[in-house]
Amino acid sequence: MPKIQIQRIQHWLHLAEDFLLAAVLFVMLSLAVIDIAMRLITGGSLIWIPPVLQVLVLWLGLLGALLASRSQEHIAIDVISRFVGPLGKKVCGISGSLFAAIVCSVVAFYAVEFIQQSIEYDDIAFAQVPAWPLQLIIPFTFSLMALRFFLHTLGFIRIKGYQPNPALKGENV
Amino acid sequence: MAILISALFLLLALMGAPLFAVIAASALWGFFQQDVNLSVVAIEIYRLTEMPVLTAIPLFTFAGYLLGESKAPQRLVRITDALLGWMPGGLAIVALIACALFTAFTGASGVTIVALGALLYPALKNAGYSTNFNLGLITTSGSLGLLFAPSLPLILYGVVAQQLALDIPVSIDDLFLAGIIPGTLMLVALSIYSALQKRDPAALQNKTKFDAKEAIAAIKDTAWEAPLPFIVLGGIYGGFIAVSEAAAITAFYVLLVSVVIRREISLRKLPIVMRDSMKLVGAIMVILAVSLASTNYMIDAEIPTSIFDFISEHIDSQLTFLFLLFLFLLVLGMMLDIFSAIVIMVPIILPIAIQFGIHPVHLGILFLANMQLGYFTPPVGMNLFIASFRFQRPVTELYRATIPFFFILLTTVLLITYVPWLSLVFID
Repeated sequence: MPKIQIQRIQHWLHLAEDFLLAAVLFVMLSLAVIDIAMRLITGGSLIWIPPVLQVLVLWLGLLGALLASRSQEHIAIDVISRFVGPLGKKVCGISGSLFAAIVCSVVAFYAVEFIQQSIEYDDIAFAQVPAWPLQLIIPFTFSLMALRFFLHTLGFIRIKGYQPNPALKGENV
Repeated sequence: MAILISALFLLLALMGAPLFAVIAASALWGFFQQDVNLSVVAIEIYRLTEMPVLTAIPLFTFAGYLLGESKAPQRLVRITDALLGWMPGGLAIVALIACALFTAFTGASGVTIVALGALLYPALKNAGYSTNFNLGLITTSGSLGLLFAPSLPLILYGVVAQQLALDIPVSIDDLFLAGIIPGTLMLVALSIYSALQKRDPAALQNKTKFDAKEAIAAIKDTAWEAPLPFIVLGGIYGGFIAVSEAAAITAFYVLLVSVVIRREISLRKLPIVMRDSMKLVGAIMVILAVSLASTNYMIDAEIPTSIFDFISEHIDSQLTFLFLLFLFLLVLGMMLDIFSAIVIMVPIILPIAIQFGIHPVHLGILFLANMQLGYFTPPVGMNLFIASFRFQRPVTELYRATIPFFFILLTTVLLITYVPWLSLVFID
């Protein structure tokens, strides 16, 4: 596939992820506020709001993690790479990203199996809502994270001084 | 083989591989060894949906980032200065209190140094404090206040402790109560040290007296934000609202004030604030998710029990255990950030500490107090790097500047560790 086309796909994918994340946060905040308001005003509440909020936390957390992997801003210990030269940084970057890519792929693979079982056993999330569509977020985010970490691995291999994390770029240590 | 694999994972972690990947890998490896189907990891991740209090984490973080992007930090400094600036060492104490309040509300993520440091640093310089003192004070203050409600580390400790199904329940409300005196102790100790600081005599000329007009103006200026601590803290401590509800109210209120009423954050800027805050949330949540799996594996494999058996062969007194714990946490705090430390270490340490007769709420407070030191313990304390980046100073200069602050807080941490009463006085 030509490079331009890949970049275009990537651009739209980023936009879609951003939009989904903002939408989930917005819905979550609105539902949480409606829940409190209902309780204050009518004394009752909509019983489906709390379980929906709990599912949205998972979605938000994993979409946030996906976003963090775009610019490699995940929490890391990072002791060695702070104190080594460019070659050491490169080695750390390649091994860390490749490792994360493999782990995310494994999690994504088994998450699919988890969902297959969930469909098989007709797992219910709450009320009459089946659990599997809500669980799809796990393989979705982990497979995209795997992709991102593979791209970072390639970046560390091919680009000199590659540093996707903006916070680490300007460090004067 | 097992040792080789563990060493490999540790090496990868030290080389900067994302921690969540390292934790996930050790859980996967552990379950693989036990012939458990690896889809169990996905089941554990999905368990995030079983914890109602977790909604507090994204909502408080979002509110904190909104506050940081608005002009609330300026107003916070203005009002504390107007009310307390006239005292000896006033401005330094203003800095400490403002930072503690801001950190409690923004979740101790380094936002404090970035948002408040830039305002306080020049102001402290004008008031005649030495550069070394200023840098030390601001770097230290970046993690001050994490023992106060509604800080994220306190909430996260409660969430993790609740997963362990202990005999003594750990409620987040109890943790909020328990943090009050230890947190205040740290604040007072640093305030006394600041009040005793020598200042440049030339700067003492422009000493400020209490100005009633400025105080009233400052209060008016903060009219929108001022109710927030009262609603949230009053609501939580008074038992009127749950933590997750407080988070929803805070996020909604701050969004309304900063975007609609004051218009300090434009609609164009809002998605950026959302993304930045959710990056942090994602980084924490994904670690929490995979550590549910690794914790499950560790409990299955009875790792805490065997560690306890090993320790109790050599140590039988609680005092010695507490001291070793203190040393261990100090080292841990240097290596790990507070969120990962909580989700990784609490499931191991808490069952052991309970065997030694330590109250889980007390453990939470001493754990976090220790971790607070870790934020600016050389060589890798996160706030040292944030301050170094923010103020364009070599990180070694910050190592030196924070030394006196480190020893003051170290003393308070020892007090908190050895005097459980400080944490437990308000707990039934």
